[in-house]
Amino acid sequence: MKFSIYRFNPDVDKKPYMQNYDVELQEGDQMLLDALLRIKDLDDSLSLRKSCREGVCGSDSMNINGKNGLACITKLTDLKEPVVLRPMPGLPVIRDLVVDMTQFFENYNSVKPYLVNNDPPPETERLQSPADRAKLDGLYECILCGACTTSCPSFWWNPDKFVGPAGLMQAYRFMVDSRDQALDARLEDLEAPDRLYSCHNIMNCVEVCPKKLNPNAAIAKIKDLKFEQARAHKNNAKKQIAIKVV
Amino acid sequence: MLIELLTKRYPGMRAWLMQRLTALLLAIYSVMALVRFLLLQPNGYEAWVDFFQPCWWRFASWLFWVSLSIHAWLGVRDVFKDYVPNAHVRSVLLKLLVVMLWLYWAWATWLLLV
Repeated sequence: MKFSIYRFNPDVDKKPYMQNYDVELQEGDQMLLDALLRIKDLDDSLSLRKSCREGVCGSDSMNINGKNGLACITKLTDLKEPVVLRPMPGLPVIRDLVVDMTQFFENYNSVKPYLVNNDPPPETERLQSPADRAKLDGLYECILCGACTTSCPSFWWNPDKFVGPAGLMQAYRFMVDSRDQALDARLEDLEAPDRLYSCHNIMNCVEVCPKKLNPNAAIAKIKDLKFEQARAHKNNAKKQIAIKVV
Repeated sequence: MLIELLTKRYPGMRAWLMQRLTALLLAIYSVMALVRFLLLQPNGYEAWVDFFQPCWWRFASWLFWVSLSIHAWLGVRDVFKDYVPNAHVRSVLLKLLVVMLWLYWAWATWLLLV
């Protein structure tokens, strides 16, 4: 099977280049990662990340024939030859298919992706009703592979400002968590014009998500919540004015 | 309510909301224009003058133009913000855009309301 793979070693190469490989697949090689490991047997200078090999860790996300995805769950039979592999776009390349995901995780951390609850911890655990728990479905499954964020043009142009689809979906995941108490602060945090509203519904994130999640829908729901928050602020302001008048 | 939401407290939402509101106005006007066109079927200069004769329609057309200008400003501003990384070039382009939109607005006002 024929491959064309992006190669760049900053210690040696002045600029990146594409290297062709023709690899003999063995019985049982079904996924792209299997083929990549065969290539690595031939040329151990090729760098890539991998870990779980079953689409759970999100390490081996890369650009596969122009579309971001996970090598370990991409079937070889679905790929057109030569298979063109590049690192995920929009992030600095460390080497070959390995990118520096610092910006991605900085954006993710900026939305405080953890429960904020100031009540004293209960003896056992903070319980949720099945209905409240169901609100997290389609959100908590994100594996932070970065496929969505790095295929988003808004992130390419403003990576330090726009949180990106993965970070925003996690922001929404905690906004709708019945155990969280920081909804207002979370919404306020996303008011800066570029942090949330740089999403122009391009939908690349939905197209590429290997877990079939819908970050765009989560972003739309955050915008709805922000509208509700603004209305609530307005009503509270009116109440406060009324109290002062009385 | 709407005016209060479009204040400086919500800079992100203000642009987002304005873009959707103007889009709604543009859509309503477009449907109305199509219906009027199908009903009146203007043919020739005089017929088109008659088409824009009613006061309410000229005002609606002016409102359409205002909405289009705001909508275009928000959209093109975002495009420049994303695709023109040089701050000086972007600033010049944004100023040109503002001048162009104001000129169009003035022209539309003169044609439709004066």
